[in-house]
Parts: sequence; C-alpha cells; structure tokens
Amino acid sequence: MPLTTVARGRVYDWSHAIGRGAATGTGFNYPQTMCLDKNGNVYTANRGNENNFGMRVNHVKVGGPGEEELLAEFFQYGEGDGKSIWPFGVAVCAQRDRVYCSDEWNNTISVFDTSGKFIFKFGSTGSGDGELQRPAGLAVESNGNLIVADSGNNRLQVFSPEGKFLGKCGHAGKGPGEFNQPWGITVDKDGHIFVADWKNHRIQKLSADGKCLMCLGSYGAIQEPEGAYGVTTFGPFVTGESEKAGYPPTDRFNHPTDVAVDSDGDIYVCDWGNHRICIFDSEGGPITTLIGDAHALSRWGQQSVDANPDMMKARRRVKSLEPQWRFCFPTAVDFDPQSDNLIVADSQRNRLQVYKKVRNYTDFQANL
Amino acid sequence: MAYQEDIALMAHLMRRAGFGATRDELEARVAKGYEATVEELLHPEAQPAVDAYTLLRYQPASLLPGGQPPMGNVHWLYYLVNTQRPLQEKMALFWHHVFATGNSKVDNYDQLLEQIELFREKGLDNYRDLLLDVAKNPTMLFWLDNNQNHGTAVNENWGRELLELFSLGAGNYTEVDVREASRAFTGWTFETKIPRLPYGRFPWKFQYRPEDHDDTEKTFLGHRGRFNGEDIIDIIVQQPACGKFICRHLYNFFVADEPQVPAWPIEPPRDQKAMDMLVGAFRDSKFDMRSVLRVLFNSDAFKEARFKHVKSPAEVVVGTLRFVGGYEIPKPGYGELSMNTAYMGQDLLNPPSVEGWHTGKEWINSGSLMARINFMAEKVGNTSSPGVRGIINRLKTRGALNPEQLVDGCLDLLGPVEVGNETKQQLLSQANEWGQTSWDNGNAQVADQHVGQMLQLIVATREYQFA
Repeated sequence: MPLTTVARGRVYDWSHAIGRGAATGTGFNYPQTMCLDKNGNVYTANRGNENNFGMRVNHVKVGGPGEEELLAEFFQYGEGDGKSIWPFGVAVCAQRDRVYCSDEWNNTISVFDTSGKFIFKFGSTGSGDGELQRPAGLAVESNGNLIVADSGNNRLQVFSPEGKFLGKCGHAGKGPGEFNQPWGITVDKDGHIFVADWKNHRIQKLSADGKCLMCLGSYGAIQEPEGAYGVTTFGPFVTGESEKAGYPPTDRFNHPTDVAVDSDGDIYVCDWGNHRICIFDSEGGPITTLIGDAHALSRWGQQSVDANPDMMKARRRVKSLEPQWRFCFPTAVDFDPQSDNLIVADSQRNRLQVYKKVRNYTDFQANL
Repeated sequence: MAYQEDIALMAHLMRRAGFGATRDELEARVAKGYEATVEELLHPEAQPAVDAYTLLRYQPASLLPGGQPPMGNVHWLYYLVNTQRPLQEKMALFWHHVFATGNSKVDNYDQLLEQIELFREKGLDNYRDLLLDVAKNPTMLFWLDNNQNHGTAVNENWGRELLELFSLGAGNYTEVDVREASRAFTGWTFETKIPRLPYGRFPWKFQYRPEDHDDTEKTFLGHRGRFNGEDIIDIIVQQPACGKFICRHLYNFFVADEPQVPAWPIEPPRDQKAMDMLVGAFRDSKFDMRSVLRVLFNSDAFKEARFKHVKSPAEVVVGTLRFVGGYEIPKPGYGELSMNTAYMGQDLLNPPSVEGWHTGKEWINSGSLMARINFMAEKVGNTSSPGVRGIINRLKTRGALNPEQLVDGCLDLLGPVEVGNETKQQLLSQANEWGQTSWDNGNAQVADQHVGQMLQLIVATREYQFA
C-alpha cells in the first residue's frame, strides 16, 4: 500500500499512529466519536465494554510521530454528575473552553471544562422538544450553539450553550432532510452542517437553518475477494492482487459514521462498514479513498510490544503485518486546518491514524 | 380442537427447530402449514440475516472480544435473540455441542465466534464438507493440538477426537486407526497470527505445510494408501457407524433425550426405528443435513416426542428472552444477561470438555434448577414486557376469568404447556385464592398481576422444564 496517495491534485501522506488498546490511561477503548481542540489535539469518546471498563473521554496530544501524550481523561463509567454509562459524542467549544459529551443511555449532555472538570448537564429522555433519545454526534456552531444528532429520534436538535432548546430539523425517513439514526456531525467554516446519516448510508449537507443542500453517496458494501485474508468476518480483506480489491466505488457507503470538511472544502467521509475514508471535492465529486497505512507502531503501541517479549517473538514470525495497517471500523474523522492533519479514529484497533494533506508536493523523478 | 392441536404441534416444532414462538407467530405459521414451515426453517437464506451493524454500533467490543467474558457471549446472544433464521442458529448450537471447542484453552472468543459463524453458514449443508472445514478450522486445530502434530512427532489428540467424538463413536475404530488418522493430519496447522498487543485481535489462518506432513503409506479402517487428512474424512463418512453417531446426536438434540455420549456403545437408542430412518436419510442424501432434518421434523417420531426433552440452558434463556421481547437492541446489562446460560450449567463458547455438555436430566440439579426458575420467573413476571402484554391482551378479550379459565389460559398461551393433574391442582389452588380475574372497574393492575404471577408459577413447574 502506498504511504503517499496522490489523486486529482491532492496528496495525502501517512504520518503516524497514536494509541493502543487500553481501558484506562494511555490508549483508547473503541472510540465512537472525536473532536479537535484549538491546539490540534483531540478528545475521543470511548465506548468501553460490558465489564464497565474503558468508558471515558480522553484528551490526547496529536503532535508528530512519537509525540502522543495523555492530557486528561474524564466521563468514566458510573452514575451521577460527570459520569457516563454509554459515552458517545464529544464536541469542543473553543470560545468557551468547554467540552460537551453525550451519554446515549442516560440521554443527557454533560458539559466539562477543557481539563475535564464537570460543570453541568442537561437533557432528558423523550421525543419532545429538547428531549433526547440516544444522543450521538455533537458539533458546536460558530455562535457557540450545540447541535446534537438525536439519533433515536432521527433528527438534529440545537441547544444554547446553557442547554436551552433552540430548534430542530429532520425526522425518520429516506428523503432529503430526513434521517435514519444519524451518527457524526460537523460544521464547516461557512456554517453548513454535514451529517453522517448512518442507516441511510449517505452524507447530508444542510444549510445552517437545516435545509438539505446535498445528499452524497448510496449503499455499497465491501466484498470478500477470492482467497483474501479477512481481518474480521466483516472485513477489511487483504489480498495480494490489489490493495483495494473488494472495496466498492468511492461514493458507495456502508453505514458511514462521520464526516469532516477541510479548509479547501474537500469532504472526508468515514465509511465505517467499508473500513476506509472516502474523499470528495466540495461538489461531491469522488477523489480517492484511504484504507489505512499504519506500517509503524504508535509510541504507546511500541511500548506494549517492548514490554512483552512473546509479542515481539510472534510479530517476527508473522508472514505479513499488512492486516495491521488497515482501518478496522473507523468511526471518526477530523481535519485540522492549522496543521493539515487528517485524523482518523480507527475504532477496532483503538488507535488514531494521522495523514498530512501535503501542499506544494513536488513529484519525484519517475525513472529512478 | 383440531386447530388447537395444530397450534400445539407448531409450538413443538418451533421449540425444537428454534427457540419457541409467540402465539401470533404460531397462528401465522399454522396458516402457512406445517410442512411449509419446515421448508422455511430449512432454508434460512430466504429470511433476513441478523443486523450485525446494530450490534457493533452499541457494543463494538463484541466484534473482537479477546479472551475475557462476556463480550463474546454478548455477540452470540444478540444473534440468538434476534435471528429470523431460528434453525440456522439452532444448528450452530448443535454443532457447537458436537464439535465442542472452548475458551478455557483457546482464550480467543473472537476465534470461537468465527467457528460459530462456520456452523451458522454451513451447518445445514453437507456433513462431510463441514467435517473437512472443521479439520481446517484453526480454533479446532489449536484446541486439539494439531499444530503440534508433526510428521516426525505425531500428536494424536485431534485424530482421536475426530473418531471418538466427531464422527464414529467409541468402539468403531482401533488404536491403530487413531495413530494412522493422526499421521494423515500431520502438517495441518495455522499461520502465526498478528499478536493481540498493541491493537487487539487478528485471526488465525489455516496452513498446510507439506514438509511437515507424513506422506508415507497408512492403513486406516481397512483401507491402504498414502492418505492425507481429506482421504481420512472420506473414509470416515462412508462408515455405517458415522451415520449412526451423527443421527443419534440429532435425535438427542431435536427429538428426545438419549443417554450421554460415553454410554452410547452400551445403551441402545431410545427409538431404533426412528434412528434407522434418520441413518437412511443420511446415507441416501450423501450426508446432507438439510435432507436428514426434513425427514426428522416431518416424522411421527418427532411429532410424538412433545415434552420428551429437557430444555438446555440456552433454550431456557434464549426462549425466554425471545418470548418476553424487549431485548432486540443491546443495552447495559446485556453482558450479565448473556452469562445466565453459564449460571444454569451451559457456558456457551466454553464447554466443559471436548465431549460437550451432558444433556437431558443432567441439566437439572438443585443449583441449576433454581437459576433457571429464578431467571424465567423474573422475566415472565414483568407484566410490562411486550410478550407478557401479548398474553394479557388476549386474556382480556375473554372477559372476566374464573380461576380455571385463568390457569388454562396462561398454560395455553405460554405454550401450550401440558401439565399433570397434581400440578394443575396446585396452580388452581393459587388461582382460587384470587377468585375471579377481571380487567373491569379499575381492577386492571390486579388482573395483570394475577397473570404475571400465574406465569411465574407455571415456569417453575416440573413440566415447564421440558420442551
């Protein structure tokens, strides 16, 4: 798999991986959503498991290769203020230095300062105005209002920074402006709202007042090629023939979970069930896909291997480490306009993969 | 009465070929017909598959759960509770019992789930092909040490269990056959997989290493040749003992309780005529499980075997959850819920040994009986659950119920359940204390309670432990 992907005037260069599987501390535990802070670092909402391990939001430094660092963690499992049962969404309000976190079991939004100190929470179960049913992705508008993907009610709701209901849009359905269990959302620099319409297998671009401006993508699932190595029963599949064998065309999604927009207007879709990131221009024209290129271990990952000689021994006996490079059910994507980092939460691998969108790339001499 | 008999027969079929059915489903299936229902069950591909993506959205840790319970159990329970292909899942359970492989050694629930997926996909197809897939299944290879079975140093674990527990049964081969079969499977192993740290689990892949295979001549069950593993399987399936062994498992699982497997060489089958019929179908169809099951479910022996099978813990837990409803989407606590079969003596994905579980009466002891009754009673006593509401709504349409009508109505709608006179009198004595049950004049809450408590009493009866 090429580490540098060149397509239609864009260049994406794999930079590094961050994290490892960990129920607490330095690592991740099935991140569901992710959000950048104003310094280019990320908050991730980790789902955990039925042993009630791993649930938390953690704040992690992105930096360059080997610079990962745990900055804070909060919203761990438990009842009461500042705790969660099923953490899902996370969003940062840079103006107010706040972090919003959704709990889709308690149907609440908890508000923290950027260090993870609990401030207050709001929301209750239901389908009325301001009530929530499995709140999923979150995004903050430039005016500080919070948009919630109210996934069980198949709508978006907008709240003031104090948690007061301001408005809503959408309902269950397949038409424009309708949703089927929306997951991640983002707001671009022009105030447009992008929604990963999870069970409708598409992305919707909405105006700031909730009108559908564009639907992007339709259903298409990854297929297992003959003789492939299935990393899981549901893919990804690794073949010797072609690194993208089995993957559907770029605009075919299988339960997309998140979307990001960069400073040029290019759109990044987290195509969860197809284990990839699909990249489009601002009009929805397909550019390319990224399928994961983590050929080098993260710093914390390397520490795990170094501390366990049997792991090192086994790794030296493995025929190919390529299955480890690939995304496995990536859930979240963000683009940092300051660093041109494209960051992907690689959920089943409990790590982030970071790419750089390279400007002014000079091609190499082709006859080397 | 004829219609009621049709309902009872359909309920029997759905308890055995699935995990029970609500009265609404039974009525729909009776309208469709018994044989048509059997065909539908035998062709699960016509029904939608379980929505695994919804499971992974809510419980992502259930995809590659590693070696710690309960996320592997959560994964399978979600399939068992939600499947619209009940016989497919029941066959996965059947093969898991026959080709018993456990997390106690494998320490990889993800790999056990992959094996269950094999049973799910191929469990109704050809036994010979399935046996070959099992012989190549890395989870099985590790479980029975075939990765330690080398051309220069034979390990007989897989070869022995292949003959004793997976195909022929004790007494139908010699120690020499075990040795020769094991030699034929030398070189059948798996690739080194990417280890669990730091990014979680990766799968095993089957690998054949010709340089580690003993390619010399072997003598196996009277045949001579330079046999490889596949040749051994082809010889095995042609043995009359093979059909007898597999069909006795089928009879024990689907029709009526047999003695435990180690007793089979000395205890004759419970119904030799039925066995002969099944063995004939196995042979004539060239080992096609779908064909054998078609004969089984349409046979008088099956239809007359109502309540001659003690429910396994999996049947108790899954049947109850499907009946009461409300467990379609995982919720916090699903992990604890998924371990209930273990509390009753059947730790799914972790059987006690390669022999699987002892079945029939051995499911019942003082501890497991309490566990199963407490579990069922808690669930059916919840009068707000969709399944119990369904029973209440049907009873309500009958107007005020005298004690006998309440008992009969609950027995009918919970099965129909057949109870003996002594049990009936005990149920009636409680109902008599309540007097008339009526939903009129503000009595709805009390009437609901009467139904819920009557259902709790019924699931605690001796008779309800049978399917």
